[in-house]
Amino acid sequence: MTQRDIGKPLFNVVLIIVSASVFVAASAFPDVNIPGDLSAAFFPKFLSGLIFILAIPCLIKDFQEWRKGGQAVSSSSISLVRGASQWLFVILLLIAYVYAFERLGYMISTALFTFSCVVGLTVLSGTWGTLSTAVKSKALAGALVFSVVLAVTIFYVFTDLFKIPLPT
Amino acid sequence: MKKLLGGFTLAIGCIVAGQAFAEYPTKNVDMIVPFSAGGGNDTFVRALQPLVEEQLDTTLVIRNIAGGGGAVGMSRAVASPADGYTLLAASNAMLTLEAMGTVPFTHDDFDFIAKLIEEPYLIAVSSESPYQDIESLVEAAQSGSVRVGASGVGSSAHIAANAIANRTESTFNLIPYPGGSEAMSAAMGGHVEAVVLGGAELRSALESGRLKALATTYAERSDSLPDVPTFQESGYDLTLTVWRGIAGPKGLPDEVKKEWVAAIQQIVEDGSYEQTANNLGTELAPLYGDELEAFIDESAATMREAAGDLAN
Amino acid sequence: MISGYLDGLGMVLQLSTLLAIAGGTLLGIVMGALPGLTSAMAIALLLPVTFGMPPVAGIGMLLGALCGAGASGSIPAILLNIPGTPSSVATTFDGFPMAQKGEAGRALGLAIVASFFGGVASMVILSLLAPPIAEFALRFGPAEYFSLSIFGLVIIASVAGKSLLKGLIAGMIGFLVSTIGTDPITGVGRFTFNELSLLTGVNLLPALIGLFAVSQVLKDTFEYDPNERLKESGHRIDIARPRFIETLKHWKAVMMGVISGSIVGPIPGAGGSIASLVAYDQTRRFSKTPEKFGTGHAPGIVSVESANNALLGGALIPTLALGIPGEAATAVLLGGLMIQGITPGPLLFADQSGTVYGIFLAYLLANVFMLLIMCLGIKLFIRVLMVPRKQLLAAILVFCFIGVYGVDGDVFNLYLMLGFGVLGYFLNRYNFGTAPVILGLILGPIAESNLRRGLQSFEGDWTPFFTRPISVAFLIVAIGLLALTLWQNYRSNQQSTPAGDDSV
Repeated sequence: MTQRDIGKPLFNVVLIIVSASVFVAASAFPDVNIPGDLSAAFFPKFLSGLIFILAIPCLIKDFQEWRKGGQAVSSSSISLVRGASQWLFVILLLIAYVYAFERLGYMISTALFTFSCVVGLTVLSGTWGTLSTAVKSKALAGALVFSVVLAVTIFYVFTDLFKIPLPT
Repeated sequence: MKKLLGGFTLAIGCIVAGQAFAEYPTKNVDMIVPFSAGGGNDTFVRALQPLVEEQLDTTLVIRNIAGGGGAVGMSRAVASPADGYTLLAASNAMLTLEAMGTVPFTHDDFDFIAKLIEEPYLIAVSSESPYQDIESLVEAAQSGSVRVGASGVGSSAHIAANAIANRTESTFNLIPYPGGSEAMSAAMGGHVEAVVLGGAELRSALESGRLKALATTYAERSDSLPDVPTFQESGYDLTLTVWRGIAGPKGLPDEVKKEWVAAIQQIVEDGSYEQTANNLGTELAPLYGDELEAFIDESAATMREAAGDLAN
Repeated sequence: MISGYLDGLGMVLQLSTLLAIAGGTLLGIVMGALPGLTSAMAIALLLPVTFGMPPVAGIGMLLGALCGAGASGSIPAILLNIPGTPSSVATTFDGFPMAQKGEAGRALGLAIVASFFGGVASMVILSLLAPPIAEFALRFGPAEYFSLSIFGLVIIASVAGKSLLKGLIAGMIGFLVSTIGTDPITGVGRFTFNELSLLTGVNLLPALIGLFAVSQVLKDTFEYDPNERLKESGHRIDIARPRFIETLKHWKAVMMGVISGSIVGPIPGAGGSIASLVAYDQTRRFSKTPEKFGTGHAPGIVSVESANNALLGGALIPTLALGIPGEAATAVLLGGLMIQGITPGPLLFADQSGTVYGIFLAYLLANVFMLLIMCLGIKLFIRVLMVPRKQLLAAILVFCFIGVYGVDGDVFNLYLMLGFGVLGYFLNRYNFGTAPVILGLILGPIAESNLRRGLQSFEGDWTPFFTRPISVAFLIVAIGLLALTLWQNYRSNQQSTPAGDDSV
């Protein structure tokens, strides 16, 4: 099942743009003269230049492959939407977790993160709608217990046993 | 009634406040080590940890906040509340960063509690080197270029090496290595003619006879290395020391300082730390209060001067 | 020497010493199995505890932590495709595919026994050959380090997966990322964006955990399908037991691991991270069935894991014989030795007091305890896979978070980890792969700084890179291996062109 993924050629475009801008940025490095040295900018320029050059054949190949792919394979579009939404959800949740980590402290942020992650995945994967009210509340309670127990256990293992301080 | 209540709260407030100070520390004390586990700064604090915990009757939580050559941990310490529950394992690195002009804080943003140990910078060569004293090395470096290794560009050892080159009017081809171990093995393997590093890092190499120290940056010869001449006695006006101690963000309560100074004085007096310090290649050189402040100011000025053309 | 060992034996065979070694090993195993926590942290944690102990007990405890953490890194690598340290990256190549076939227990059993053999062999090498190997390591100057890193970078070709070109790009991305931070020669800031945390460059651990763990979790969330529960119950617990005989059958792989661990491991600053990758690469090249590697092939696991514990003995060589620690863990260990009043150096090996033999025996015992504890735990480790998918994903993310935060206490590293996670997800999705990125990140700084340091100390002269014997030997081998890979690729492309399709 070949998925027709425009991202594959696009990723090469991103590489080309990023490497070009890295090259430009590296050209602006101040030049410190040390006898025999290649200068600070040498390797960043060399590498970004090489990535730029190598990404072009990849782009051409991936783009041709994408065009040959013909009609998008539609059989998996439901699971694709579900996958993408789950993926995006977890990334956004992770960003929120980092943001809250030192502000709310380890305990609250971790419990909230774990709880939302488990419940969120249940909802987004489509299982939620199929559950009866009783099962729903049971699932919620289970997720709650799991997240609190996980957060508390880790806290004590890390701070007491490993002496690794966590933000409170 | 209101007055009475006011007086009452005030009294309670006083008691609470009084108790809070009298009982410092009432909770764990965070000790920020601005380097990863395993460096000189980290070992210094970890060796001190059980002794301080006993004296202060609290738990010292060591937090390695590494990054930016110590800059991340130090700026975290500056930003912490000055309540005595977040302290910093301070060292020259702070003054080095200040001298290099890469960080937004200076030593004036800290309150220094105590200096505990010192070590010199040493210039050392391989035991098989043709240069067996500082004069012959300097002579070679004045007539041609001599390769000298040091740890990390912009590190205090790097600055010290630069200062040595300036004061002896030598040309060093100053080669920065990522750390002390790499620089030492380069010296042992003959890939550089000499290295400039702190005494603690060099200790085992010197004791095993693989490297030979030619000169120390101390003002006087040290007890642990009595055979190593100082730069001063060789006729070069150069005095630098690596020091390590305890500091906190500016505005530490006097009670906190008093408790800590008392604890450290006790540790120094009963000699429980001296052997450890010597084993680590450092020397106990305690300093507190105004003398300490003067010392820090002086060191900062020396570092700034030593950094010279390296600073940006 | 025999009397030395007898004296040493007397020091080791005391209940308190045995307990200290076992305790250190257990803590090492637990910390090594959690992503982000390293053996360096385990040793630093134990350091204050060892002060009051007699030298052999204290050092034995620290060695136990080193040994335990070295072996247990394989657990998350095999079960979850998450390497906790750079040296277990190669464990994922065959360990995880084997686990996916439902044979996680077999993979673990192989890894444990191979770790044990590697550790014991390296202890023997350490006790007999430390001084000459240390002398050899000293001959590594800038030219030799540069050529070694080039030799290491060629490994990219064999971990690149289907597209060599994309593997190369991924390696260069890693190399390019490694140039972030203060320039090692001139001190100029490169791509630091005025961020203090970036002054010393991108920290390896957040990058590693982002590229492997977070990207893997993101892939799993994308593919998470509540209707596909059945797959999870396919794990067979009954096969989870140590695999002595099967490991011995792959004795060539064990040898390869021990050799590369003992030769590459002692090179300060470079060896530890790449010894296991070198072992994997060489075992695969010398194998009669190289195409089986990467599909859950036993020699792949065995060579990597034996190298992983052999390199610890290797890393101890310069630490004990020269007082030069190669990386963080041995640096903390050196601190422990010095606090105990033990001075590393050639004299330590000539010392008649028996302390050094006690240390060797303690290290041997640490390996035995590691084997015992891991064997007892093996059925327990497998149960991780019984945790329901959603909960497992959330828990892995939390562990990654805290592990990375615990390294430096720097929230910036968490953002870095997330960034690398997303990058790693796309790199895997579009066939670039993440292993080359890590190779670039580890070897890039060694290649760059040593090339430039060499040019600086040879005053602009390039010829020493090609005239110094060790340096030129590495370069020739590197070029040979590269040519071989290109030839093999060309051949297999020719054969498979009719069915050729590199999309996954």
